Amino acid sequence: MITNLFSFKDLFTDYTELRCQENNSLVMVFLKGNNTTNTRLSTSGISARVYKKGAWGFASYPETTADGVKFVISAASHNANFLAAKEPQQNKALPVSTPTSHRDLVPPKSPLHPKQLVSFLKEIDHYIAERYPQLASRTVVLHRSELKKELLTSDGASVLSFLPRSLIQISLTIEQEGAPVSLQESYGGRGQFEALFTSPSHLFPKIDWLYEHLMRKREGIFADAGLKNCVLAPEMTGILAHEAIGHTCEADLVLGGSVAGPHLHQEVASPLVSLIDFAHTAFGATCPVPIFVDDEGTKAEDVALIDHGKLNGFLHNKESAGHFGVPPTGNARAYRFSDEPLIRMRNTAILPGTAKLEEMIASLEDGYYLMRPSNGQADSTSEFMFGVTLGYEVKNGKLGRAIKDTTISGLAFQVLKTVSQVSQEFKWLSGGMCGKKQLLPVGLGGPALKCQVMIGGR
Amino acid sequence: MSWKELNIYALGALAQAGAEHGETMLSIGEKTEMNLENGQLTLVRTTVDHQLRLTALQEQRRGSILLNKINRPAIAPAVEEVLGIAAAAVPDPAHRIADFQPPQEFRKGDLKPDLDLMYQRFNTFIKEVTADFPRIILLNAYLAFTSHTSYFQNSNRVDFTVQQGVYTFTVTFSANDGANSSSFNYSGFSVLNLEQELINGGSLRTLLTQAAQGIPPRKAPDKFDGEVIIAPDCLEGFLHSLLGITITDSPLISGTSLFKGKLGQPVTSNLLTLASKPVAPEIANGYFITGDGYAAKNATIIEEGILKTYLLSQYGAEKTGLQRAANDGGAFVVAPGNQPLAELVKGVKRGLLLARFSGGAPSPNGDFSGVAKNSFYIEDGAIKYPLSETMITGNLIALFRELTAVSAERVDFGDAVLPWIAAQGVTIS
Repeated sequence: MITNLFSFKDLFTDYTELRCQENNSLVMVFLKGNNTTNTRLSTSGISARVYKKGAWGFASYPETTADGVKFVISAASHNANFLAAKEPQQNKALPVSTPTSHRDLVPPKSPLHPKQLVSFLKEIDHYIAERYPQLASRTVVLHRSELKKELLTSDGASVLSFLPRSLIQISLTIEQEGAPVSLQESYGGRGQFEALFTSPSHLFPKIDWLYEHLMRKREGIFADAGLKNCVLAPEMTGILAHEAIGHTCEADLVLGGSVAGPHLHQEVASPLVSLIDFAHTAFGATCPVPIFVDDEGTKAEDVALIDHGKLNGFLHNKESAGHFGVPPTGNARAYRFSDEPLIRMRNTAILPGTAKLEEMIASLEDGYYLMRPSNGQADSTSEFMFGVTLGYEVKNGKLGRAIKDTTISGLAFQVLKTVSQVSQEFKWLSGGMCGKKQLLPVGLGGPALKCQVMIGGR
Repeated sequence: MSWKELNIYALGALAQAGAEHGETMLSIGEKTEMNLENGQLTLVRTTVDHQLRLTALQEQRRGSILLNKINRPAIAPAVEEVLGIAAAAVPDPAHRIADFQPPQEFRKGDLKPDLDLMYQRFNTFIKEVTADFPRIILLNAYLAFTSHTSYFQNSNRVDFTVQQGVYTFTVTFSANDGANSSSFNYSGFSVLNLEQELINGGSLRTLLTQAAQGIPPRKAPDKFDGEVIIAPDCLEGFLHSLLGITITDSPLISGTSLFKGKLGQPVTSNLLTLASKPVAPEIANGYFITGDGYAAKNATIIEEGILKTYLLSQYGAEKTGLQRAANDGGAFVVAPGNQPLAELVKGVKRGLLLARFSGGAPSPNGDFSGVAKNSFYIEDGAIKYPLSETMITGNLIALFRELTAVSAERVDFGDAVLPWIAAQGVTIS
């Protein structure tokens, strides 16, 4: 990383963000005992974004040298000038941020050597192979990443942020009548590998749990397609909060005609539902993806998107905040040094309620208990979908047969109005990545919800 | 020292540090991108990036490192680290590097963009959409020119140079009639030059027309088993999913593929002929070198329903005892059928025209489900109305076995050339 961004401040002639960034990751894969991948990736560089006469210019360069800095500031200014000359824009001034400073503690390099990490994974793989020889296949993946950013803006913001994340993903596959059936789970989250994973044996009970559910899923049935009463486990609710509500409340999507726009201050959910995009701290603890200052240099604030059923606000960068006449919320985020900041979520969660998960399931006469999500997608109409990799039918309050992989969908503002119970139990999903133009880590959280959704099936 | 000399220097450094086999790839890339947001050009972006990938094999152990520093001082620590990673790995005799091939240079497209022409084409596109499709809202769009020069060398004396430049255009849009909004839709394409207006590229004109007709949408009438016509924009995802669970490294190494042992046998309807053509002239945005260091070649994957090849890497081939594929897949070209799209629609008793599929990742046995977006309900051979809140469920392997027709028309996306296909056996709800 570059030594001192302040020494380049004199090069700023217009509104400018100068960002120096390093993304490091390590990926190790065991596929059915074969150590197929051992790869480290490292990208770093410098970028500048300049705002001039209502037009934006951006440039990035991989060498974090003085020449690199001069190049990106000059090229970004040139790009802004090019656009401003071609497209006369409304020269609206951006809201000026209060000068903000934030410094994360950057710990020393990870002490574990690749050899120790391989041994760690090998031990997990051996456990699965020996304990469950009937499995057709197994995959154990380590994904360790670190994002380090340094930002200086012409408004006076100065930031050093550090975000480590360590995940172990395990997938088990068994055959049923010659066809594969799989179940996977991700463990870990924010933090360095050594702090999160002290011994392979700590994962063994979780693997046993996964295997047990895989054996039930092996005998799984198709869900009965249609609108159903469901209990979404806490692990499912975070993705609902993110896909179904969070995206529609991003101010750039609101300006593009998202359904959230005309519903501001209206009732869009059951009064039991409150939803917050947390900046860095929730319930007295640090969130999975803590953002103290965003990539425009704005101090990040929590945004209450839904307050007891009412749509309360949107997620903003400086430009959209200027448009709506509200303060910026600190939601401008970029993933790589070469990415421009976009309006993104941080840690989006539905707040816990008072019901107990067990009682919620017991109160379901005929429906499904949906436990684990896969990928999801949202729409500006608030129609969402996400995959379900583990679920059970519920008859007269009792868990029945497992269901095959399926997908649930619905119009978020309709689905959330059907929420009749919200659990006390709350979970963060810490391995989430959002794919709006750039892939970016996000936190997703929530309690269990009892509601009505469309389920795919036969 | 030239970039190529630096790459050769890195290969030498691997050998000197003790790697029995080594492979290096150095790349210098630049992207120029114009961004539209909510109908207006808002940002011009220039990104320069480099790549240096080092791979070392030592006592059948493999390690690799990818960084974006291409200066001489960065090489020594990277070499030390990659050997450390390799030393940590579990030995596997299947790890190899590409065999000797004659040196080759590949070149496609320009190396510098025409910024003024990019602006002119983009601006015309915005004006044409505004004039011809007044209901359309352009949510965001990106016109980018990406170029790179890459050098690939390995210790088996493989020596490749690639120079490639391509324009790509992607658009996300929705329709609004004042009272109702459609779901957003998106599409894009790649081209070697900007001779044509952007609105005529890929499937854009078709999708913009459909989007303008797509409001207000309604739910499908009830749950039924019907037929589906999969549009080219959707077909690529279905093909990737089908091949991903059946003929790539992971399902074949683990032995869970349902196409295991099916080489030379029928795996789909005989209406399907599918090739992967990364170096074909009609593929603007292809690739010349495979991930494991072989010169990519075009290959037929499925010919009239018969599986002709697996998509195995060198490692996958060694693990399974099967043949390495001629390429890494993608760049799909599906042979056209003999019926126009209009005839495909006429042949549907009850079903839908699937223009976009928003679904969960398919199961390894091919089961899939998801939402039919930007799609239309078909009954008695006629398109009746646009759909919302409609789900489809099926099985990929069964779906491709149950094809009923392939359209004569195809869309050239620059990274794929695809028709509409019709198939039976999906549940619509």
